[in-house]
Amino acid sequence: MDQTIGQVIANDGYLYAAIGLLALCTLLTRTTYHLFGHRIPLSDGVRRALRYAPAAALTGIIVPVLLPWSSPESMATVIDQRLFAALVAIWVFQKTRNVLLMIVGGMIGFWVLRAVIGLW
Amino acid sequence: MREGFVAVRPALIATFTWGLVTGVAMVKSGLSDSGAALMTLFVYAGSAQLTSLPLIAAGAPLWLIFAAGLIVNLRFLIFSAALQPYFQSLPWHKRLTYGYFSTDMSFVLFMPRFGQAKVKGTEAQRAFFLGTIVPGWLAWQSSSMLGILLGSFVPSAWSLDFAAVLALMAITIPLANSRPMLVAMLAAAITAWAAQGLPLRLGLLAAVVAGIVMGIWAEKAFKKKR
Repeated sequence: MDQTIGQVIANDGYLYAAIGLLALCTLLTRTTYHLFGHRIPLSDGVRRALRYAPAAALTGIIVPVLLPWSSPESMATVIDQRLFAALVAIWVFQKTRNVLLMIVGGMIGFWVLRAVIGLW
Repeated sequence: MREGFVAVRPALIATFTWGLVTGVAMVKSGLSDSGAALMTLFVYAGSAQLTSLPLIAAGAPLWLIFAAGLIVNLRFLIFSAALQPYFQSLPWHKRLTYGYFSTDMSFVLFMPRFGQAKVKGTEAQRAFFLGTIVPGWLAWQSSSMLGILLGSFVPSAWSLDFAAVLALMAITIPLANSRPMLVAMLAAAITAWAAQGLPLRLGLLAAVVAGIVMGIWAEKAFKKKR
């Protein structure tokens, strides 16, 4: 994610298509049952799968940001301020259960650690 | 409607914070101001928006962005299945509107109050629901727009796109509330790390599959033990 800092996504068509599709996701998941009633059965198996899928997807988005490979060919993993700032954030969240404090604490951790790693 | 507003009022601060972070994060992940504004107006789903940002920044294929958006929104399928009886007597365009604007918070506030109601679908129940979704929408949109505005002033060197990851972590950590779920998330984490070499961010899909399979397996395994 860091490589893309400051660079605005160049392709407008791609961005608008992504936005349109995400809006469709919102519409489909929130209105299907309202529009079609219970004609779509949710079996036990499906319900179970539905429970694990979102947590797995969110984890799958977060992990490559915190533990990125140094290049697509090399599994050598970059360990830097992002991982440690995330640990700080988790600690703050466990202590306070407050999302705002967690984000602020995580960002402060990020800046401090980046400065320290930079000095090294 | 008043009753709904009173119930949702304490939660609006959280909604506002969330919108602010999402607004800043969208701009700092490389979206144009107008793109970010359109996204927040039409998508109106914080977790899906935040999830899509690294994918969009990496130029992932549109179908994968769509799939990821669907997966993090799946909870609404379950919410709306539970809410549907309260709205079924309405004409379709009203059902569509209520559905589209429903939020996590509206569901969380509504069900404990009316889940055991003898008559489902009264005017008072729907007025309560409306009282929770209207202020929620206003708080979300105003804070996101403010975030987008702030985002264009904040220097990129502050790396505020990292706040998006922190916000996603704040959604994810409370989900780890059972041992099978922990197994599922661990499997997803290892898979997501190991599958980074796959093109087009397909590792995300692999992580979801691994998470579901291992979660269901762990559920069975822990049951047998007991």
